[in-house]
Amino acid sequence: MVQQRRDPARPGVPRTYEDQERWKGGWVRRPDGRLVPRAGGRIKRLATIFANPVMPSIQDYYEPWTYDYETLTNAPLGDDFPVASPRSALTGKPMRVSWSANWDDDLGGGPELASQDPIVRRLGDKVKLSFEETFMFYLPRICEHCLNPTCVAACPSGALYKRVEDGIVLVDQDRCRGWRMCVTACPYKKIYFNHRTGKAEKCTFCYPRVEVGMPTICSETCVGRLRYLGVVLYDADRVGEAAAVEDERDLYEAQLDVFLDPADPAVRAAARRDGVPDRWVESADRSPILALAKRFRVALPLHPEFRTMPMVWYVPPLSPVVDALTRTGHDGEEADHLFGAIDALRIPIEYLAELFTAGDTAPVDLVLRRLAAMRSYMRRINLGQERDESIAEAVGMTGAEIEDMYRLLALARYDERYVVPTAFGVDEADKGVIEEVGCSLDFDGGPGMGGMGDVPFGEASGRPDAATVETFHALRDRQTSEGGPEGSATDGRVNLLNWDGNGRPGGLFPPRRGGGTDDGGGRGADPGPPEGGRP
Amino acid sequence: MILALSGTSNGRLAAQGFERLAARTGTDMDELIHHAEGRRVVFDDARHGPTPVGSSPEWSGKEAADRRYSPFTINVEHDKPWHTLTGRQHFYLDHDWMHEFGEALPVYRPPLDMGRLFGEPRIGPTGQREVVVRYLTPHSKWSIHSEYQDNLLMQTLSRGGPTIWMSVADAEAIEAADNDWVEAVNRNGVVAARLVVSHRMPTGTVYMHHAQERTIDVPKTETTGRRGGIHNSLTRLLVKPTHLIGGYAQFTYAFNYLGPTGNQRDEVTVVRKRTTEVRY
Ligand code: SF4
Ligand code: SF4
Repeated sequence: MVQQRRDPARPGVPRTYEDQERWKGGWVRRPDGRLVPRAGGRIKRLATIFANPVMPSIQDYYEPWTYDYETLTNAPLGDDFPVASPRSALTGKPMRVSWSANWDDDLGGGPELASQDPIVRRLGDKVKLSFEETFMFYLPRICEHCLNPTCVAACPSGALYKRVEDGIVLVDQDRCRGWRMCVTACPYKKIYFNHRTGKAEKCTFCYPRVEVGMPTICSETCVGRLRYLGVVLYDADRVGEAAAVEDERDLYEAQLDVFLDPADPAVRAAARRDGVPDRWVESADRSPILALAKRFRVALPLHPEFRTMPMVWYVPPLSPVVDALTRTGHDGEEADHLFGAIDALRIPIEYLAELFTAGDTAPVDLVLRRLAAMRSYMRRINLGQERDESIAEAVGMTGAEIEDMYRLLALARYDERYVVPTAFGVDEADKGVIEEVGCSLDFDGGPGMGGMGDVPFGEASGRPDAATVETFHALRDRQTSEGGPEGSATDGRVNLLNWDGNGRPGGLFPPRRGGGTDDGGGRGADPGPPEGGRP
Repeated sequence: MILALSGTSNGRLAAQGFERLAARTGTDMDELIHHAEGRRVVFDDARHGPTPVGSSPEWSGKEAADRRYSPFTINVEHDKPWHTLTGRQHFYLDHDWMHEFGEALPVYRPPLDMGRLFGEPRIGPTGQREVVVRYLTPHSKWSIHSEYQDNLLMQTLSRGGPTIWMSVADAEAIEAADNDWVEAVNRNGVVAARLVVSHRMPTGTVYMHHAQERTIDVPKTETTGRRGGIHNSLTRLLVKPTHLIGGYAQFTYAFNYLGPTGNQRDEVTVVRKRTTEVRY
């Protein structure tokens, strides 16, 4: 049995990013128990500041390209229809595409690429890369908004910060000096360097949406309804200690220990004392994250051994086990079969453990058993049979808990998936100010949602504009208003992904020939050849 | 407009439909009628975020606050007959032509012998540096036909042009590696694409995902010197008499409801590695 994982959010992530021997991300624990960034402490970082030796090169990501779309309309009449062939977005020259943001998607590239997976290498010969024994799952990844982020610790300019009010990790575009220490330091390789602006960029957790109580775009648009958002209160004073526990297999438990129980009166009192609004504590109480991670214990952190205390947690897939069972003609919903298969299918479980628990298979076992139990327990209900408490007991739960978990995972109602309180310090007095409106990558020429700039993707972005300052009400009005977005489209372009269906923003249609005010021709609506793309 | 015309978003319509359905079937649809009343989803709701809809007689499944859509739950829970001759789900197709073809019950039919029928070579390596394979054209996970998969972002998230997926053994047989250019040739046409070698593919079968963009990264072929074709260049519609049964219970044509099976996908092709330089 082979465990293969495809990582569709690897886009833009250098090959083998998990190999920290090579990429030097995250923290290491010194013998005296202190944590230092793997890339070296302050002195080493200063010494290497001008030539960071473990910087992924563009080839480690991929060479961006476009197509000579112009041929499609300009080619002279011929026997064959014209085609657009690839052009390097770096040089504008014809190129042969040989690596992309997601080259090995769906096990593309076969054993040759799969055997380079750092986890496959660690598990060695046990992993067989053959048709009969293959399965895979997807692992969408964003910045983890870590509790103990190496990116923040590594920045010599103090441009990276973790917001105290909601834990979102951001790059201050004005303070960023382009040292790129954060790129090396982030073990998840979720900071990108924008060569056009000379600044670091990263996931912003859609903070302008989150501040007004809306879920992030990646969560809201997930057709699988499998992304959850919620508040987790934690004891900030104990993070350092928890991240430094000696055995990396204890990191998962240590992180769970740092999470506070919002139902606990002592926690409530402390929260009030620290000025945390009541609605945040109430939100935390209904948090789907806390439920999945701590109450049901089915969500696990990704690579806790990097010691950054990541905050995007994953429910590992039961599918390898169910698939293997049904392939052999067994009933993949019967509790005993499933439990037996979980015992038998060690390789996928070891693989999952390398991803989520620093190699400790016990927590993964427990998660898979609980998911298996949920299947069997709920099937009985669905078939009109009696509830069987013994199935729940076998995994240390009650039937009622299993039904709650089912509700959260399977019914996954919108308001239970996303429990997002409005911004801290804003709602009460309605007098607060929100830093920035819209996508924070949406500065002039930037790659944000308002347009792609001249050239697709990040390397195109121009100088950042000063952030627009608006009040909370203004933002909420904008996000939810009936009015058209006139004036909000940048440079006469409109990104259809961002269009709310209201009115007819300028740039929606190309200009009329011989006049017209909007000059159209933007990316998003019209894939015309970007500047750098002409041969 | 569409929201007003669909019962899933316009509860009044759904309730009316279920009432009519109840009158026709004589079964109890009260729960569905009751739930539908008062439901109204307007465009504004959809603009604010994903909005749940409700059960409607256009669909076979129930949908409500405490359950997710699952097909045929209206049939099962409210005794609505299936749209068949007997009103039940059944495997047995009682029609003379089906009897004549021995297909009144589901039977295994091996893939067509394209060698015997159309003179295509036999499946497997040919001794040359080429391999004869079954050629499948599945939908991709990213797109409905050409929708979504051909824009620059999606091309960047895949391989930036047309691809054919092949097993490790078949790729070895033609001495091709991942990302090498290959040509697939049969009596219907020629396709030029880059290879994706994967242990996810069984030996003897290749995929070319449906409707990859013909105007992006399709070179002239070595075989003909002309532009390579699309996935359907290698397929041709094949009709057999049982496809032509009509006007008989569930064999009656209805839009998006009954059509011939996709047997033109039952195809074979020769695949060989391209040896000359790629020209557009
Ligand atoms: S995952 Fe995000 S918060 Fe954590 S180290 Fe990387 S960039 Fe920083
Ligand atoms: S939208 Fe959801 S289901 Fe689809 S790839 Fe993203 S996380 Fe997965």
